[in-house]
Amino acid sequence: MNSLQYGWRNLWRNTRRTGITLAAVCLSTAILMASYGLMDGLMQHAVSNATNLVVGEVQVHAQGYLADHSIYKALNEPDLILEAAKQKNVAAAPRRYGYGLVAVGTKSAGARFWGVEPASERATFDLAQHLQEGRFLSETARRGVVLGQKLARSLQAQIGSEIVVVVQAADGSLGNDLYTVTGILKAAGDSIDRNAALIHAEDFVELFVSGDRIHEVALNSRGMVPLDKLTELLSIAAPEEEIKSWRQLMPEVSDMVNLFDAFIWIFGLIFLLAAGMGVMNTMLMATYERIREFGILKALGATPWGIIRDVAAEALVLAALGTVLGTILGLAGSYYLQQVGLDLSIFAGTYSVGGVAFNPIWRATISPKMVLIPAVLMLIIGVVASLYPAALAARLDPVKAIHRP
Amino acid sequence: MATIVNLQEVTKDYGQGQALTHALRGVNLIIEAGEFTAMAGPSGSGKSTLLNIIGGLDRPTSGRVLVDGREIKDLSNTELGLLRRDRLGFIFQSYNLIPVLTALENAEYVLMLQGVPTAERRARVREVLAEVGLEGLEDRYPRQLSGGQQQRVAIARAIVSEPALVLADEPTANVDSKTGKALLDLMHRLNEEKGATFFFSTHEEAVMKRARRLLQLEDGIIRNNGATADIRNTE
Ligand SMILES: Nc1ncnc2c1ncn2[C@@H]1O[C@H](COP(=O)(O)OP(=O)(O)O)[C@@H](O)[C@H]1O
Ligand SMILES: [Mg+2]
Repeated sequence: MNSLQYGWRNLWRNTRRTGITLAAVCLSTAILMASYGLMDGLMQHAVSNATNLVVGEVQVHAQGYLADHSIYKALNEPDLILEAAKQKNVAAAPRRYGYGLVAVGTKSAGARFWGVEPASERATFDLAQHLQEGRFLSETARRGVVLGQKLARSLQAQIGSEIVVVVQAADGSLGNDLYTVTGILKAAGDSIDRNAALIHAEDFVELFVSGDRIHEVALNSRGMVPLDKLTELLSIAAPEEEIKSWRQLMPEVSDMVNLFDAFIWIFGLIFLLAAGMGVMNTMLMATYERIREFGILKALGATPWGIIRDVAAEALVLAALGTVLGTILGLAGSYYLQQVGLDLSIFAGTYSVGGVAFNPIWRATISPKMVLIPAVLMLIIGVVASLYPAALAARLDPVKAIHRP
Repeated sequence: MATIVNLQEVTKDYGQGQALTHALRGVNLIIEAGEFTAMAGPSGSGKSTLLNIIGGLDRPTSGRVLVDGREIKDLSNTELGLLRRDRLGFIFQSYNLIPVLTALENAEYVLMLQGVPTAERRARVREVLAEVGLEGLEDRYPRQLSGGQQQRVAIARAIVSEPALVLADEPTANVDSKTGKALLDLMHRLNEEKGATFFFSTHEEAVMKRARRLLQLEDGIIRNNGATADIRNTE
């Protein structure tokens, strides 16, 4: 008969009370696991949306380009960067940027032109599939343009609309030309929605007279290469350029991830503490009912530590059982949320947070840490919660305890 | 013969002011190894208080208490616990047993505290349970045993560690007189055959008669301190 067996038997002296506490521990653990999974799913979704759509995990620019977006601040040796990425099997897309005006009929707006290589964009990002209408740019340059959602709306442009383009070219001349709208993007973050006009790289070079200037190389391994390895690789390939990870490029997304992380822990801890209170209450009632027994055990020579150990073991058995049941329930819930997810489309179509678009089906992730951390915390809290009743029992005066009516 | 208990002018007060009670008013008592001594006295005369003090469960207000050669007031609570565990056995009036433990588990509790290896512990407990007439009932829980059988488990638990002294506070008070007599026979036999020293309180005539030595406690003072073999002989 060890303390755990003894605790197990004592727990079932009051089946209802133990059952209720067990349910509380079980539900708290399960809810924590499932919500942790949902939050983690949301964050991974946010991060992969943020990176896979267009930003990538790491971007390389010339020093100072991010500060003023000058067409003259181009990368020194973009080929070395592309070569380094290729060697590590990391997809990369070179981009050229320039500013100008676009007009459809009487409507006009400022735009940021993206000179992209459609094949590289397709291989590296999801943007080419992220169209609300029409098609992405074709592999050959044909004076087609893909517009951001809000830009298209403000120009009242449709697929097939003719667009007049006026830009300041790199050689100081005024470039102008006529483009045809081939596609309109879905929501892809505020700045893209408002001003992106994507054109073929060859068209861009002609329009802006920009030669072989490349302003950005965006790399995306889709999580295959850790962020620090990726930046390390680039700092060797392009030591004089500016290398930025998505966390630096999208600090609002990074902050949001950190904030949600903190939030889930606070939320979870409150849940676990509530369950811990339940355990404490149960153990208080259980020890109170057994005062006479503790008195007898002490008279027989049980030490205060022995009694604390017995009470703590009983709470441990209770918390462990609740945690095991909670883990089963939590895993089942997380599995459902991973496979089926929560459909939020009844509340909103697509929505965006911090400029990042979200899918209306919210899915959870499952990882060992989100099972282990709540489970271990619940066990610790359960045992800690029992220490107060345990100390009360250990300090009982045996004479008073035994002669209690 | 070794002296197991030596009390000198022991007093015990409870409460203070108006509520001050002198539970013991100067008790002198010597108990030698092998005795089978009863303490009689009306309810409230201080029997439980005296047993608790000898058992190191309570501390006297004044006077000297030597148990197994050790001065109680020099011992810490932990040392008192060890003294109880290793040198004393306890039997209480009723509800002596832990309800979630079987007869065997209840009886082996002290040996478990002492760290006696499982196999040896089990063997000793089975032997003692057989001696107290509980063979075959080892795996029953207290609720599956009669009051008399429960007290037998308590007696087994008290003697299995072969303590220097077994203290019993009205061990037969909650069983019928026939069962009480059987329990007394058992303790008596354990005293004679195993040399276990018993000191118990009672207020039943029948029990007093079985004692080899009978003390009379009244208002916290021992009135009759004599050996009572003669009383036994009148049986
Ligand atoms: N814990 C206590 N607090 C106050 N008074 C007590 C306490 N225990 C016993 N007494 C008093 O001490 C006296 C002796 O009690 P007790 O030793 O229990 O007598 P007995 O066991 O002979 O019936 C009684 O007057 C009782 O009321
Ligand atoms: Mg009494």
